[in-house]
Amino acid sequence: MLLVVTYSQAARATLRNVCQSHETVVVRRFGRAALFAATELGAFLALRLRAKHGGDVQLSQTEPFNEFTEVDEEIREAAMAYEARDSPSTPYAKFATGTDYPSPERMRDREL
Amino acid sequence: MSVVTVRVGTRAYSGRGVDLRAESVAPAAVYEAAAMGDVNDRVVVESPKPSEGYETLWCIRGEPTTSVVRSLEAAARSRGQATPEDDERASVEAALAELDVPTVETTAARRRVARVGADEERLRERVAELRGRLQARREAGASVDSVRQTLSETAGRLAEVETERIAAEQALERAEREAAAARDARERRLRLEDRAANLARAARRRLAESVYNEFASALRSLPGEAEPGSTPGEFRGDPVSARLAAVRVADLDAPVVLCVDRFDDADAAADALDAPVVRI
Repeated sequence: MLLVVTYSQAARATLRNVCQSHETVVVRRFGRAALFAATELGAFLALRLRAKHGGDVQLSQTEPFNEFTEVDEEIREAAMAYEARDSPSTPYAKFATGTDYPSPERMRDREL
Repeated sequence: MSVVTVRVGTRAYSGRGVDLRAESVAPAAVYEAAAMGDVNDRVVVESPKPSEGYETLWCIRGEPTTSVVRSLEAAARSRGQATPEDDERASVEAALAELDVPTVETTAARRRVARVGADEERLRERVAELRGRLQARREAGASVDSVRQTLSETAGRLAEVETERIAAEQALERAEREAAAARDARERRLRLEDRAANLARAARRRLAESVYNEFASALRSLPGEAEPGSTPGEFRGDPVSARLAAVRVADLDAPVVLCVDRFDDADAAADALDAPVVRI
C-alpha cells in the first residue's frame, strides 16, 4: 500500500478532499496521513498530491508485517514474555537482564 | 462623530455622510485612500486613521463575504479589545517566522536509482544470453572467439553499472535521511500553524461573544430582518443587517463605504451606524 503523510495545512486539506472523493482508494485515514490501495489509481492520487505540494508530501510503500518471516524467534519470544510479565512496572531492560532475552541495545543495532 | 472630506478630482465632499453616487468611484478606491492615505489617486479621503478591524468592516455591500463571528471580532478589535490568546499567538507567529524549513528534494536520486537499476537488469540478461550462446557454439564445435569477446565487454559494463547502482542507492539513502530531517521542521511548522489557528479561533469566539449583546440591540435599531439568538452561532437572518449592526458596534474612525439602499440618505446612514459613511 502507499502511505501518504502530509506536512502542511494546505497538503492536509488536499489529502482530506482526495480521501472524501476517492473512498475506494483509501484503505485507512489517520489525521494528516492515509494509506492508499496499491493500484495505479492510488499511485496517481499520491503523485498528484506530491506534484501539488512537493516536499510537504511524503510517500512510502508499505506491506503487512509477517513476524514469522521477518523476525528471529528470540525477538518474538521476548515480546510475548515481556507482555506476560508479573510486575507491570518493570522496564524491559531490567526484565531482560540475567535472561536469554536480548537487550534493547542489541536489538537497536540489528536490522531486520 | 468626526466629519470626513472626500476629494474626487477637483471636487470636495464633506460631512458625516458623504454621497458619491454622482461620481463614478469604486469602493476599493475609497478604502485605499482612507487606509493607505494614497494621495496619488483621483480619490483622496481626509479622515482619522482607521482603527483595527477597518480592513474587515470597511464595506457594506449586497453580498457580504465575512462571517458574523469575523465581523464581530473586527468590531471588538476596533474598540481596542484584546484577548488572553493574543500574546501566545504573537509568540507562536514569531516562532513560525524564525523557523528554517529546508527543502525536500529526492526526485533526481529516485530517478537515478531506477535508471541505473534498469540498465543493470538489461546487461545482466544480455550476459546470460551471451553465456548461453557461447556454450551452444562450444557444443556445436563452432568458433567462439567473437562471442567470448562480446561477453567479456558486456560483463565489464555490467560490473561498472553495478558499482553505479550501489552509489545511486547510497545517494538516495542520504537524500532520504536529509528529507527526514527537513520533514521534522515541516512537522514543527504545521504544529505551530495549527496552534496559531486554534488561538485565533478562540480569540475570535471570545471577542464575538463579548460584543454580542450590543450587536443584538444594534440589530433591533437597524433596518432588515434578523434573529440574533443569544450567541454568534445562533444568528439567523439577513447578512447585510448583520454587517450593519457589526459596524454600529465598531469604532472605525475612517468612513464606511455603503453600497446598499438601506437608509434615506448618507447622513441618516451615518447616524444609524454611528460612523462616517461614504455612499457609493
